[in-house]
Amino acid sequence: MVMSEKIKPDPAAPVEPAEQVPEWLGNRLRRMFNDVMDEPVPDEFKALLKQLEEKERGS
Amino acid sequence: MAAVDPFLDQVTALLPALRAFGRSLCGDPARADDLVQDTVLKAWTNRQQFQSGSNLKAWLFTILRNCYYSELRHRKFEIEDPEGICAAQMSVAPEHDAKLHLRDLNRALQELPNDQREALVLVCATGLSYEEAADVCQVAVGTIKSRIARARDRLVEILGDDATEAVAPRSVIDSRPDLDTGSSRRRTVS
Repeated sequence: MVMSEKIKPDPAAPVEPAEQVPEWLGNRLRRMFNDVMDEPVPDEFKALLKQLEEKERGS
Repeated sequence: MAAVDPFLDQVTALLPALRAFGRSLCGDPARADDLVQDTVLKAWTNRQQFQSGSNLKAWLFTILRNCYYSELRHRKFEIEDPEGICAAQMSVAPEHDAKLHLRDLNRALQELPNDQREALVLVCATGLSYEEAADVCQVAVGTIKSRIARARDRLVEILGDDATEAVAPRSVIDSRPDLDTGSSRRRTVS
């Protein structure tokens, strides 16, 4: 097994994600994620939620 | 779009995060949105099981993850990002474009084994803690850490440890036969 992770004396010690992943990669991952988060939610979801809400009100 | 029901309200607020998590898992926006639809329905059906006040985001992510694996089991054969692969094999004029740059990351993520990709995304993109990610994936925290380490190593191989914005797309398009060695990094065992 490649011991590519930094050796930590205590495996239960809290590890910040930044320590495991280089900054450039963490930034790209977060930006990729945030780009999708910034998209407007498609109408299909609004319709589904409206349906469920109406069901709830009807019961 | 304010829902009357507080549960639906909270689910609505988490839709962007769910869509983003779904997309990072399967790479394809349409498939991801189908997964999120299934997730919302399942969450709704099982809402009595959710303890109000506990971690709705982690609960929803768990449902989405289960939907993802369930869908994988039912697919006759797995094609991951067919258009992306085909496009990569055609000759493409090099573009230095931030969007292309991020699509490289999306493609690179799809090359990872599922367990490595989900661990990396949960902790490093969605903002879940190691403990929350371990709960979602139903493994130990140590397992999450080692999966993230392997994912990191593989992505550094694929993408190069180049921190600049303008990465030539050839780094992804070039086939890398030099990687097909007995390197222990490429073991699929978790």
